[in-house]
Amino acid sequence: MEKILDKKQVDSWVAALTEWEVHGPALEEGIWTYQPTNGKVRLDHPNTKQSPKEFAFPQREIFFSFEQIKGEAPRLKQIMPKEQRHAVFGVRPCDGRGVPRMDKVFNDHVEDKYYTSRRKNIAYVGLACNKPPSSNCFCLSVGGSPVSTDGLDVQMTDLGDRYFVRAITETGKAMMAAGGKIFADPSAAEQKQVKQTHADAVAYPQRKINDPDGAPAKLKASFNSPLWQEMAQACIGCGICTFLCPTCHCFDINDEVHNKAPLMGQRVRTWDNCQFPDFTMHSSGHNPREGTGARLRQRVNHKFQYFHENFGMHQCTGCGRCISECPVGIDIVTVVNKVTEHAG
Amino acid sequence: MINIQDIRDTARDMLTKGEARIVIGYRRGTRGMLAEPTFITNPEQADELVWDPTCFHNLSLYLVHDRKFLAHMRQNPGAPVAIVAKGCDARSIVVLLQEHYFKREDIYIIGVSCEGTGVLDERKLAPLLNGAHATNAAFDGDDFVFTTEVGEKRMSAREVLADRCLECRTPYPKEHNIVFGEDETGRQLEAPFAALTRFEAQGAGERWEEWSRHFDRCMRCFACRSVCPMCYCDECVVDSITFPVTAGTTAEEKASRIKWIERSATRSENITYLMTRAMHLAGRCTDCGACERACPVNVPIRMLNNKMEREAREKFGFEPGASIGGPSLVASFLDSDPGDFIR
Repeated sequence: MEKILDKKQVDSWVAALTEWEVHGPALEEGIWTYQPTNGKVRLDHPNTKQSPKEFAFPQREIFFSFEQIKGEAPRLKQIMPKEQRHAVFGVRPCDGRGVPRMDKVFNDHVEDKYYTSRRKNIAYVGLACNKPPSSNCFCLSVGGSPVSTDGLDVQMTDLGDRYFVRAITETGKAMMAAGGKIFADPSAAEQKQVKQTHADAVAYPQRKINDPDGAPAKLKASFNSPLWQEMAQACIGCGICTFLCPTCHCFDINDEVHNKAPLMGQRVRTWDNCQFPDFTMHSSGHNPREGTGARLRQRVNHKFQYFHENFGMHQCTGCGRCISECPVGIDIVTVVNKVTEHAG
Repeated sequence: MINIQDIRDTARDMLTKGEARIVIGYRRGTRGMLAEPTFITNPEQADELVWDPTCFHNLSLYLVHDRKFLAHMRQNPGAPVAIVAKGCDARSIVVLLQEHYFKREDIYIIGVSCEGTGVLDERKLAPLLNGAHATNAAFDGDDFVFTTEVGEKRMSAREVLADRCLECRTPYPKEHNIVFGEDETGRQLEAPFAALTRFEAQGAGERWEEWSRHFDRCMRCFACRSVCPMCYCDECVVDSITFPVTAGTTAEEKASRIKWIERSATRSENITYLMTRAMHLAGRCTDCGACERACPVNVPIRMLNNKMEREAREKFGFEPGASIGGPSLVASFLDSDPGDFIR
């Protein structure tokens, strides 16, 4: 289904999505985040600071609550996410491509019910990038494109005063159908314009990973390269790169005790981060990833080697967040290029 | 004006003569115009060094890293570490020396004066560039000059300078082995604590509301802690293991560890984290602003530290990082202290 939507009609479309809680980009305190739209959708964002992974994989997920009264059996109560449909507007193609990668992790050979129960209720309404929103974009290097529809239910393309709107999935079709007559059929000229816009977008220069196809084997051969420590020397071991990443998914599970007698609390999953020094700390005190070099290698190899070996695709979608936001300039494009150039 | 060649020559010379085992400075990064930290051991690398308004980082953090690495490897320092330090960075080094974190003779400070300006705030700059990408930043004595794909853009210091630099009282590194640039102390564009004063002019309700938003936004990536040279503790209240575990640590000791702060990035935990950090920086924070700059979600962390700094200044006339031999704020006592509780 391909339609034209007047820019002035976007809010009317959102109003017609009565079964959905609609979220869109909002600029608050100088940063772009996804917020409930409250009827007003803004799509003039570069990209959001955090990826939309939080909708299916929130930073804090309560698994169950527990209570232990002395002399009685412990009582557990599973807490599942609320059944509510969420539509996320303004998702950039790189973040769209993060979705199937997260699906691989949480719903491939093992189903993570917390993830899937959220995921099945989420629709991603994408916005193609007519121009790379960041100077650190490199989606073309990792099999993506500024007009990719992977992971999206609907793709919108900005044509000036209108959007060209394309349904990608059945969910997307239903969402567009809800808009009814708000949408118009595209003319031949508009079809041509969207084709040209997409072609221009793909031709726009981006940063480049030189040998993404050779990366898995070359990284494997470079496991013991001294380059890792050299390139990670400035690393401060914070969580920015992983927390902002659309595909980083490591988590920690803790029991949070709220009351001692009777013992009450919750088992909670929170995001974790392979760059934290205590991430791999053993209870013996031994840390197999002692230095920043080993930790940087883990993150890069996971994206460009291990994930590729497991699922046949790179786990990086080229959004460039980890590059732009690193406080000390660690740059995954440079890192992959350097290691692959020196491999073997 | 600083001639970068002087810094490069110093670095090359020291490395060639073996007077430094490493030079920690700035080089051009691979993402646009921004500088990044560099660690030079080969004299031939000296030409990599740069000095411009994107040299944000407080490199004294890496003196802490180096010291921890040596302790871990049970190595002696050998030749000193040479480090490029701005006024605020040099004061951080002074605090670390005051706390006996390392010895003065193990550090060679290559001071650089900010000469009455300072470093950029990329977040102020981005909207002013209107989508253009800057590939170079320079200060010509009056204005900042940016090279972009759509030509040169000039901006006044007041528009794009980091807040901490607008308020900076000591842009000249007093503690140094060698120093480049003129001492132009006193050219600050804003009064000290200006942002804090503006904030405090609001009512309690508004202040609580504003900081509640900030606390809620914190993701607990710990960039503020990790980038801070003063956050060098081996045990940090926020880590899942809050004490150094050795082979001799018993299971009981591990099981009975106190969990001060949960991993969840919720308001209560975030408040506990950020407040604990602010308290532990009282009398130690030199307002280098690295924490606030690193924060990906724009929590105005400096304000918490500024509050402690101003208290110390007003109540005790204390200035962090002023002298190596001077007393520390929380480890010293004055006979003239008006408080009875302490006697």
